[in-house]
This record gives sequence, C-alpha cells and structure tokens, in this order.
Amino acid sequence: MKKNKSLLLSAPYILWMLLFTLIPLGVMGYYAFTDPDTGRFTFSNITDLSAYLPTLGISAWYSLLSAVICLILGYPVAYFIAHRKPVTQKILYMLVMLPMCMSFLLRTLAWVGILETNGILNNLLGLVGIGPVEMIGTSGAVILGMVYNYLPYMILPLYAIIVKIDGRLIEAAEDLGCNSRQVFTRVVFPLSMPGIISGLTMVFVPAVSTFYISQKLGGAETMLIGDVIEKQFKTSHNPNLGAALSLLLMLLVLGCTNMMSRFGGDEDGEGGVVV
Amino acid sequence: MSKELIRLQNLTMEFDGEKVLDGINLYFNDKEFLTLLGPSGCGKTTTLRIIGGFQNPTSGDVLFDGKRINDVPPYERQINTVFQRYALFPHLDVYDNIAFGLKVAKLPKDEIHQRVHEILEVVGLKGYDHRSVDSLSGGQQQRVAIARALVNRPKVLLLDEPLAALDLRLRKDMQNELKRIQQAMGITFIYVTHDQEEALSMSDTVVVMDKGRIQQVGRPEDIYNEPKNAFVADFIGESNILDGIMLADYKVKFFGRTFKCLDAGFAPNEPVDVVIRPEDIDFVPPEEGHLVGTVTSVTFKGLNYDIIVDFKGFKWLIQTTDFQGVGSTVGIRLNPEDIHIMHKSAYSGLFGDYSSYSAEYDELTEDAADEEE
Amino acid sequence: MKKTSRVLTILMFVFLYIPMLVLIVASFNTGKDLTHMEGFTFSQYKELFNDEDLLTLLGNSLLISLLSTAIATAFGTFAAVGIHNMRSKMRKLVMNLTNIPMTNPDIVTGISLSLLFVFVGTGMLHQRESLNFWTLLVAHITFSLPYVILNVMPKLRQMNPALQDAAMDLGCTPLQSFFKVTIHEIMPGVISGAIMAFTMSLDDFVISYFVTGSGFSTLPVEIYSYTKKPMSPKIYAMFTLLFLLIFALMITMNILQIQGEKRKDKKRKTADSHGKKVFRRVCAAVCCVAILSTAGLLIFGTRSDKVTLNVMNWGQNIADGTDETLDIIQEFEKRHPNIRVNYTTYDSNESLYAKLSGGGLSVDVIIPSDYMIARLIQEDMLQKLDFSNIPNYEYVQQTFKNTDYDPLNEYSVPYTWGTVGIIYNTKFVDPEDVTGWELLWNEKYKGKILMFDNSRDAFGIAQYMLGYDVNTEDPQELAECAKLLKEQNPLVRQYVMDQIYAAMEGENAWVAPYYAGDCMMMMDANPNLAFYLPENQGFNLFIDAMCVPTCAKNKTEAELFINFLCDPEISGANMDYICYGSPIEGARDYMEEYLAESDVIYPSEEVLKNGTSYGYLPAEVSRSMDEQFMAVRLVGGSTEGSGSTAILIGTIVLLLAFAALPFLPKRKKKK
Repeated sequence: MKKNKSLLLSAPYILWMLLFTLIPLGVMGYYAFTDPDTGRFTFSNITDLSAYLPTLGISAWYSLLSAVICLILGYPVAYFIAHRKPVTQKILYMLVMLPMCMSFLLRTLAWVGILETNGILNNLLGLVGIGPVEMIGTSGAVILGMVYNYLPYMILPLYAIIVKIDGRLIEAAEDLGCNSRQVFTRVVFPLSMPGIISGLTMVFVPAVSTFYISQKLGGAETMLIGDVIEKQFKTSHNPNLGAALSLLLMLLVLGCTNMMSRFGGDEDGEGGVVV
Repeated sequence: MSKELIRLQNLTMEFDGEKVLDGINLYFNDKEFLTLLGPSGCGKTTTLRIIGGFQNPTSGDVLFDGKRINDVPPYERQINTVFQRYALFPHLDVYDNIAFGLKVAKLPKDEIHQRVHEILEVVGLKGYDHRSVDSLSGGQQQRVAIARALVNRPKVLLLDEPLAALDLRLRKDMQNELKRIQQAMGITFIYVTHDQEEALSMSDTVVVMDKGRIQQVGRPEDIYNEPKNAFVADFIGESNILDGIMLADYKVKFFGRTFKCLDAGFAPNEPVDVVIRPEDIDFVPPEEGHLVGTVTSVTFKGLNYDIIVDFKGFKWLIQTTDFQGVGSTVGIRLNPEDIHIMHKSAYSGLFGDYSSYSAEYDELTEDAADEEE
Repeated sequence: MKKTSRVLTILMFVFLYIPMLVLIVASFNTGKDLTHMEGFTFSQYKELFNDEDLLTLLGNSLLISLLSTAIATAFGTFAAVGIHNMRSKMRKLVMNLTNIPMTNPDIVTGISLSLLFVFVGTGMLHQRESLNFWTLLVAHITFSLPYVILNVMPKLRQMNPALQDAAMDLGCTPLQSFFKVTIHEIMPGVISGAIMAFTMSLDDFVISYFVTGSGFSTLPVEIYSYTKKPMSPKIYAMFTLLFLLIFALMITMNILQIQGEKRKDKKRKTADSHGKKVFRRVCAAVCCVAILSTAGLLIFGTRSDKVTLNVMNWGQNIADGTDETLDIIQEFEKRHPNIRVNYTTYDSNESLYAKLSGGGLSVDVIIPSDYMIARLIQEDMLQKLDFSNIPNYEYVQQTFKNTDYDPLNEYSVPYTWGTVGIIYNTKFVDPEDVTGWELLWNEKYKGKILMFDNSRDAFGIAQYMLGYDVNTEDPQELAECAKLLKEQNPLVRQYVMDQIYAAMEGENAWVAPYYAGDCMMMMDANPNLAFYLPENQGFNLFIDAMCVPTCAKNKTEAELFINFLCDPEISGANMDYICYGSPIEGARDYMEEYLAESDVIYPSEEVLKNGTSYGYLPAEVSRSMDEQFMAVRLVGGSTEGSGSTAILIGTIVLLLAFAALPFLPKRKKKK
C-alpha cells in the first residue's frame, strides 16, 4: 500500500524527467544518425566528426587546465573561509555566491573591456610605460574567462567539504606526530577529495561546453567545441551534424566525470552547491 | 480477570524472504500492563508496529474487540504510541505537540485546552505549555510523548522502548511513573523493551520473544523462577545451565551426582537442562560440599562478588557476599529448591557456561544484579 | 601558510569583483565605452526606466523564473517524498535520471530540448510556433527540478521517520501528516532548493538561448544579442540595480539565518513561535502575491487585444530614435495603435535561415538579402505578397524590380541596397597598402584584421581575389577559396558580425570588410575610419528586401508594415540612421544632405558597374560552403582519410568505455 503511494507521488516526476531529459536525448540521437536532406539513416554525420576531434581535444585541454587552476586558486581560499568564525564564514560564502547570481554574459563582457588592446589593463600598463599587450584572442584569455566564471563552482563544494572535516582528526594526526604539512597531505587533503572531485567536475563540464567565453575572449584560432555546436544550430543550420557533435561532447563529459569520480571514490556527485 | 481486548492470530512477517515473526499467537487483556521482552531483532518492535498499524503482517490477523483490523490504517485505530526517542514534532511547542491529535480530530478549542491541561498535570508538566520541545530534558520529553499519546484517550497505549534514551536513575523514576499513570488511566499498556529488569518490575504479564517466536508468557515471578528453556533462563537474570539426566521424579543427576529437586513429570532418564541461579548458591567448607571447585576469578560488584568457580572444567558463576580468594578451594551445597529442571530445547548448550566470563559482561546483568538486592 | 591563504583569498575576491566593479562604474559613465570614463551621470538609470523593452524582458525573466521555481518546488518536493519511500534499487535509478540534467552540459540539454520541441511541435503537431512561452517554461522547470530534489532528499533522510508514524498515530491521514509534519521538517531543504532553482533560472542563458523562439524571450538571451551590438550603457545600469538587489537579498537572508541560530543557541525558555509564525505567514503571503501577480500578468498580457507583429531584421538596421533620428517602430505603432511590434535581430543571412528552418518560431516580416531570398523562395519558405495592401510599392525604383532573385516581383519589397567594402583605420594603415582585397591578407596587420563571420560573404571576398564567379558551384574553385581563407586565418583577430562596431570604433582592430552603411555609421563614431571599395577586383552589390515567411501569423499586418517602410519620407528618415541607399523614389530627398551626397551610400553609376550580386546556390553547395568555412577556423583544419577515422573510432570507443565505467564493477560486486 505504501509502495504504491510512493510510486503514485513520484510517477509524474519520473514521467516528466523521461519526457524532457531522456526522450530529448533520444531525439538528438535520431538527428545524429539521419541525413539532413533526405532524412534517411546515415553514419555520415558521425564520420564527419573526425574533423572536429582536434577542436574537442583543445576544448578538453583548456577546460581541464582551467579546472586545475581553479583548484589551485580555490583550495586555499576554501580552506581559509572554512576556518573563520561562523559569521565571517557566512559572509564570505555569500560573497563567493554573489557573482554566480549575476549575468555571466555581462561579467565576461567586462573582461573584454579590461583586456582589450585599448582596454583598462593596457591603459594602466601604458602609464607604467609597457606597450599595449595583445591579450584578447589568445588562449590565455579564454582560460582566464573560464577560471573567472567557474571559480565559485570550485570554491563552494570545496568549502562544504573542508568545513565538515572534524577538528579532532587534525588533533589526532598531530598527536600521532604529523607536522602541519603532513597533517595537510595525510589527513585534510585526502578527506577533501570528494569536494575536489565535485569541484573539478563542476568547473570542467560548463567550461568544456562554453561558447560565449571563447566567442568574446577568444580569437580566430580559439574555436571550441561549444562554438562549433552553436554554429551548427544558429548559423550553418546543420542540426544533424550539431546533434552528432553534441553526442560526442556528452560522451566526453560523461567519460571525464566518471573517470574523476572513480579517481576520488565519490559515487554520488551530490556534493554540489547548497545555499 | 478482565476481558480480552486484542488478539494476534498466527502472525507472520517476512522482509525480503527473512522471517521476522513466525506464527505469533497472543492475546492482550483490557487494563493490562503487558511487556514484550527480547533481544534486538527478536520481533518485538515489529509486533508492536503491526498492532499500531504501521506495518501489515505477511499473514495472520489482528483482532481488536473481536473485529479484524488488519486493514484499518493507524489513524483510525483507537491505539496510540509512544515512540522510541519520542518523535516529538520539533516545530511545535509542548502544548501544540500534545494538542496535535485533538486538533486533527477537530475537537472544540475549549475541550482541547482543558484536556491538554489535565494531561499535563497527570504527567507532571504543569506550566510547561509553551516551552519548545528542544529545550526540555530527556525525561520531560518522555512525559510529553506520553501525554501526547494519552490525551487522545486511547484504549491501548503502545510504548516502544520509551526509556532507552534515559540515564539509569531517570529510568527508574520513569518506571514507577509509568506504572502509576497506567493505573491512573486504567488502560492497556503494551510495552516493548530489551531490558528484563524493566519488564519484571512493571508488568502484569511478560512475553519473552526470540527469533520471531514467543518463548514464554507469564507473570514476572513465573518467568524468573520457572524459565521454560535455556534462552529464557539466560535472558532473565543469570543462570548456570548444566546437562543433566532426570532419573525419576524429584531426582536429577549431573556432575556424576544425584540431587534432590522439586520438579516432576519428566520421562525416566530424560536428558534435561538444569538451571542453577548464581545467587542461590552458598559456599560451604570443601569437606561439606556436594561439589568442590577452585576459584578462578573474583570481581567486586559493590553489592556482592561475582565469583567464577571451576568445577571439573565447567565454570559456574556464583554471586555471594562472602569473599573467596582466587585459587582457594571451595565447596557448595545445592538445596532442592535451588535446582530448576527444563526440557531440552533448541537453545540447550548455547547458554549458561561462564568459561569465557569477563568482568565486562553487559550492563543488563549489572542492572539485574542491582535489582536483586 | 595562513598568511598566504589570507592574501590569496583577498586577491581572489578582487579578481571576482573587479569585472563587476567595471560594469558598475560604467553605469555612471557619460560615454558609451566601458574602458574610458568620461564623466559622471545618472542619465543611464533614467533611460533604463524609460526603456519599455528592457523592462519587459526583465519582467519576462522574472515571470519565467518565479513560475518555474514555484512549479518545480511543489512538484519536486512531492516527488522527493515519493522517491524517498522507494526501494533502494528503484531510488538509485530515479536519482540517475535526476542527475542527467545536472551532469549534462547545458548546451546539450538546451539543444536536445529544442530538438524535441521542434520535432514534436512542428514535425508532428504542425504547430507554427512550437518554441514559445510554454516550452521555455518546461525547459526551466526541467533543469530546476533536480536542484529541488537534491536539496530536499537529504532533509528527508535526516528526518526521523517516526515523526510521520507519530502523526498518523495521532489521527493524521498520510496527506495530513505530510502537511502537518513532514513539510516543516524538510522546509530548509525546500527553501534552499527553491532559491537555487530561482537563481539558476533567472540567470540561465545557454538553455534558454536554444529553446527561445521569436515571441517570448528572457533578459539573458537578449543581453546576448545586445553584447554583439554596440552596447547601450543602460544595461550596465540594470546590472548595477540587480547587483544591489541580490546583494541586499543575500544580506537579509544571512542576517535572518544568523539571528535564528542565535535564538536556538539560547534555548529560549518560551518559544516565540508567534513571531516565527508571523514571519512565515508574511513570507508565504509574499510568495503567493508574487506568483498570483505574475500569473495574472501572464493572463493579462496574453489577453491584450493588440496584434503582435514579429519583425526580424539585421542588427543596427532600423532607426531607433537615437541621435535625433525618427523612431520608426514607435511611429508605426502610433499610426496603428492595434499593433504591437516585437522586434528582434539576426546578424547574418545564414543565422536568419537557421532560425527559420530550425522551425519552432513564427515571424511576420524578415529582411534577408538577395541570394537568401532566392533560396527561401526555392525552398518554399516565403509567402506571395498581396500588393493591394502595399500601395507604396509604386515608389520602388524600376532598377529594383524584376530582379534575379524575384523576377516576377511576387515575394519581396526592397528595403535597402548597398555595397561591401573595406573599412580601415587611417591612423594605423598605410594608404599605400590599400590596394584591394589583399589588404585583408597583409601580414603587417596581423592580429588587427577582422573577417566576416558568415560563409557567403567570406567566400565572396576570396572569389573576388581569385577572380572566380561569385555564384560558382565548382567544388574545385570553392576548395581554392577555402584554402585562401585558411591562409588568412592566422592573421585574423576575430570573425565578427555586429561586434565589428566595438572593435573598429575602439581601434582594437584596424582592417575589416563590411557593409557600406554600417561602415558609414562607424565612421560617424570614429573619424579615423575610412571606407574603401575595391573597384578593380569587384565587390558585392546587395539588396535587402522585406518578405513574409510561411511561418507568419499576421500577413496583413506584415504587409501594412512593409507598406509603411516604403513611404518615401519614412524610408528617408530610416536611411538617415542606417546609412544605406534607399530603393524608394524620392527617399533620398528626405535624407540629410551629407548622407544623400555620400559616395559610400550612393556610389556613382561608374563604380556600381563593377559590383556583382550573389545569386541562388543549391542547398548542397551552401552546406559545403558552410562546412569549409567552419574548417577554416578549426584547429588542425580538415583532416580527411582513414587515419583520422581510426582516431575517431578509437576516441569514441575510449569515451564509451569510460562512460560505461560505473555500470561495470557493480555487477561484479553483486556476484
């Protein structure tokens, strides 16, 4: 009796999710395997993908790099925040959250203003006598954009994990003869592994699929897989190739996240952001 | 004495193919204080939950006043429950917690007010109406939980290990309190516990359960004095259980000696379990003893000593106020009333040997020791 | 170590907040530019509050987020309770389903949803407008649901299950026990889930971008198209206000939380449940009012008896009232009070085509160029016009009638005409280098060259360079063009359309090919810029014309709008802003003299002789062109052959193996 009722409660939800997550993916698969003109079954979209592999590789490389940079930058920050007084923690946490709620389009655009040849940074550098440095259009700018946009996604899960580490464990480690570095490498770091994994995933996934950041901050040579997909739908109008590319991207993301969670032994990727 | 209120018929409960209850047949009388006693996993809580309506038995019937109530949902049964760890609603204060059931039943406000105040007085929490439940002590929360159930004037109150979370002293007070409330209200209490001392001190009837079966039903004294099998003997108090042979009525042989006893009605030469309670044994000088052994360990227990004596390789627990040094040779005498004979059962040989006795045996027995003084 | 992490934290906050500071400062800037502070002003805020379109978009965003949050929260909470009570195997399965939108990249979610909506709506139900408000709402609910579920589930797990039993024991039916007990226990999870869903939904761009049709759009989606064009600084003002609003909201939330905890710490003797109750009721009331009012707004909005005319035009291609020009749309609405114009933009013929053939939207007036009109006619995507509704057609000059793309004058009414040339910055570009299209291949200006971000215009330039026919279908010739463009790639700063304005006016790029009228506008803004038409090699001469696509819902009103734009006076006023040549007889007389006389806008007959028009190309040729143009910009370019196929297969197999990773060892464990 109870079982039936629980099914009754969640059945609409399951139906909804099937209808709007699984079936759309199925439709996408259908597009990926049909010819744009005749609508017949074909493998040609899939074989066409080979031209886009280097782009996929570059995208994965950039986003991996920015995920790692986010980790390096974000870890000390998360650690610092986690060891403040509760009230300070709350305020700092909020300050990390706040940028996530603001339009990321405009914030990225601000970076264009900062990094442009005649932008704010170059103006400042000009005052010191350093000639204008070309920053827009470089891969560095794209990675900077990714790091900037997704850094909070790294800090928040890290913080959530670090703040839960029992202080007595650190005392125990000290008691057993660890110096502060050993305490970190042997206790704190391994314990924060789930946070690291979910942070890396939360940076990697949006970064690898971005098209706006590369469009604004990138140049002629920094076309990412997200740009290619966006173009297939919004300018070239080849949704079939676009669907095939999306499947490839999805596979990449799934593979990478699985590998990462295996690496960290974290099964439920729920360590997400919780207000 | 009074009429039957609830009857369980052939109750069986299975979870994923595992039998949790196996053919339970039991009846509960009106205004009775009945305790389901057993170790964890024996099925006592499941039985209680079936009576409360939170679970449906795999087979068998629950009768209330002669009517089958298997399919009656909990909110339509005239039964209320005091849950383990109370399950007070944290978002409501004391008053609202207690008034919860009455409000659901849509009683008039005045009546709710009056009944809540009455019951607050019964449980001794007058003036606590608008305290938040978080701010109460364990014992006070316990009283709120009881009040919340009783205010609905159920015919039966189910109590699921209600005292488990309290410390020892508070538990004692609450035992008396519960008994008092039960008598004041004049309703049936069905009480679940793994604590034999609680069971013995409060109940009119004790039901000992293990492995989903009822092992023995009876008054507390009968259960203690006349355990039906090795399990009951061991679970209720401490027991030395020996293999013996019933030579004839009132004559039992163990350790190569024949003893007089008070039991009869066994087949000639039937193998039996012999129970000897540790507190029934008196030391005598070795030359006067029926049995002679060596003391292997002595533990001071405050009220008595727990002494382990080795009789021909079989170790007995003896509780006494006479000190005996380790290594000393002692003798014991067994009077006929100290010897209790049981039929062999599935539990024979599993209990009653203190070879691996250590001072850390569980606190249940400590409580039992306290009680016996 | 502690010191370094403190310094790092401060630096990190500086890093996070500097761009926002830049935007906030820009909102008080008298100048248009983000980078140069010219003076202090509040006028952007005034303009913002006068800008109905922006406020409508903000309202749309709020409406979608509030509705989707409310629905997702209620729906998700019930579902979470159901999932919580499931058997563990089933629960795991459902949680995997829940995680799909969380782990999938947004772009994949957006694309798959839009494909589904178009596939079902247009393909199966034959709806004109299958991407609309409701599909956007569905998309938002779908990606909000997991946030609610993932926030509620832990609270359910933490909850003492006996509480539900206790409620039932005390006479509650399961439903009553949910509302009287469970909901209070899981409330913190429900609230934090709702807050997350709301912020995610309010700020969502990627998914909305793909599932938005023509009729209903949200703020982030429109900001995206704004950020392509020269930005109007009132957006920064809006950003600043939103920043302050969210900041204030977060602060109050924190204060409430901290106070709540303090109260709990004190273990208050008497529960001030009264105050709490009042607070809760106020919260609930606010939520209800918000939801009801948005729902009311929605019903009100859709019930408006005005006809909504969806017009889709190039960016920067209609006079909008700035710089003392006539606001064409406002003027039209004034003359036809029963029509409301919903004006959206595209940045190339190709993206217009993608929007139309992608399906799911309904547009009444479009203004594509010649070759695209030919293609649209060929593919049955345009409607024949009823010229009795367009009496002003008589003003259209003879040269613009009976064109190649619409020989019988059935489908189109010309809007503008113009040329494609090179715009360059005289400060940096040596006049001797300005000899022809090869300027765009000049190594000297490496990194300062912009290029068209659409295949036809880019290939056109290569074709003029190589001397091929611009309408060639010869694969050999096209491949050579692609090769030429590939050679140009390392020199190119960015491939742009509307973004050219910011780059050229800000002097961040020096050389670019673009449409003459737009070049005129840029030259207006920055006097260092100059225009050059490579007469000797040939150049594109184009006509943009107004058409009514087959997906249009209001053809008569569309024709009314077309007729209005053919009025010589209106056309002249319009050209004053957009700086193109008008095909309307007499319009030139209404233009400002310096524009009417400009040889950029109206080149001499002599010059025009060297211009050629793009014609219709078959779909396969267009697609091949698109693909080759894409390959120009890809790393590694086009690598053909069996080797790359092998690598592809290898990659796919490897990724599949990793993707299947979690399913493999679990089976082993069970054995």
